[in-house]
Amino acid sequence: MPLDGKIKLKAEHLCKIYFSSKGDMDAVEDISLEVKENEFLVILGPGQCGKSVFLNMLCGLEEPTNGKIYRDGTEIHGTDEKISMVFQRMAIMPWKNSMQNVEMGPKYHGVNKNVRRQSGMRFLEMVGLKGFEGSYPRQLSGGMKQRVGIARAYNADAEILLMDEPFGALDAQTRYQMQDEILRIWEKDRRTILFVTNNIEEAIYLGDRIVLLSKRPAVVKEIYDLSHLPRPRDNVSRSFMEMRKEITDAMDLGLE
Amino acid sequence: MKKQNKYYHIMLGIFPVISIGCFIALWYFVAAYTDYRIPNLTQVWERFLVTLEKPIAKKSIFEHAGISLLRVVKALACSIILGIPLGLLMGWNKTFRGIVRPIFEAIRPIPPIAWIPLITMWFGIGELPKIIIIFLGTFVPIVVNSYTGVAMVPRLNTDAGKIFGADGRKLLTDIVLPTAFPSIFAGIRTAIGTGWVVMLAAEMISAKSGLGFLVIRGQDVSDYPLILLAMIFIGVIGAALSFIFNRIERWICPWMEK
Repeated sequence: MPLDGKIKLKAEHLCKIYFSSKGDMDAVEDISLEVKENEFLVILGPGQCGKSVFLNMLCGLEEPTNGKIYRDGTEIHGTDEKISMVFQRMAIMPWKNSMQNVEMGPKYHGVNKNVRRQSGMRFLEMVGLKGFEGSYPRQLSGGMKQRVGIARAYNADAEILLMDEPFGALDAQTRYQMQDEILRIWEKDRRTILFVTNNIEEAIYLGDRIVLLSKRPAVVKEIYDLSHLPRPRDNVSRSFMEMRKEITDAMDLGLE
Repeated sequence: MKKQNKYYHIMLGIFPVISIGCFIALWYFVAAYTDYRIPNLTQVWERFLVTLEKPIAKKSIFEHAGISLLRVVKALACSIILGIPLGLLMGWNKTFRGIVRPIFEAIRPIPPIAWIPLITMWFGIGELPKIIIIFLGTFVPIVVNSYTGVAMVPRLNTDAGKIFGADGRKLLTDIVLPTAFPSIFAGIRTAIGTGWVVMLAAEMISAKSGLGFLVIRGQDVSDYPLILLAMIFIGVIGAALSFIFNRIERWICPWMEK
């Protein structure tokens, strides 16, 4: 994967401080980042380090205290049509069946019902949920629910997909399956992905590059280029293990 | 395992029959062997047969039951039409909440029955004052539950809505309202219960028709079988109402786990 493509998304000195009477809380100190088009960028950081806050600023759910965000070279504010999200806690609406969940994006943007049904069908098929269009979330397993979440993000016609620990709530077995799934989907329909995780192995398995964040307040600690690791990656190969050791040593895992 | 489940399923079907049977047996026992001078089921049944030929206050018992039911249904309909929007507005709009909620909270603890003298003074003794009194009882739980339902919508749901482009009215109708549905329905269920109770109280105080009136008429003329007959009607119709409501709820919210 060549990494000299055009810059799709750019964060410039993003900073988030929560002000409160009990004292201010720095969540993100200063993150500057360039994400290339169609890149699979993994943001790796210890728990509670502010990576979700960073993602929420990118998609417009949180206002940055400071800093700027550019998409395709233009500064953006608030939510952006071209940026969608896969949530850790799924955020699948229980009263909507798979199809109704997947068509949320086009529906809110006023796309004609037939058109959005068609594209919804295509993406449900892509994530392997053909035949489950009419199923309600309570009838689906955790992995299937998150497939709905991925299909929904794709169907929103977004060029940038933010994924906030999307497999964090799944059991280990399903998690491995979903890692392969997301790579398969991404290879089939290339988009720019920002994938947040606290799992080093997951990060190395998935990413073109890994951005390692520090403990809170988050700053960029290190950026690893993984283009030398061929896909599909073997998570017990020598180069994989070496990478894993290197990142583990650099990551703030110590408990204070 | 499967076999056991099957038998258990049959047992579950039989339990209600057994428990009602035991209840009626107990009733017979109390009526026959104690000093509580309560009419037994046969006497109540005979009283029922008599009402079919001889109406009370010019109306059959079914008409009385229908009148009571209609009063509750009218009050419920008004409460649903007015209460849900009010609750939603209170949950959705902070300014509106700030203005309306204090008044609402001040009036809320007053039992609807306490309003009877004022309502009677203002509206006389026709149908309207009764419906207003029942309305006061059904309105409150519907507003409160609609309000809390909206106020407790998880941030995650609204975030997801916003990410996919919903704002303002779309967010309210497509995300917030359905999320609040279970809570709103719980409010309506409570309202049906209170409405039924308040209706009886209102009818027992001032009415010339309805099941509550029959209870009081029975007391006035020491017609105990009539009282029990009215009570059975009250119980059966009340249970039927909540059964029908559960069906409606399942039909409107098929996604809900039951």
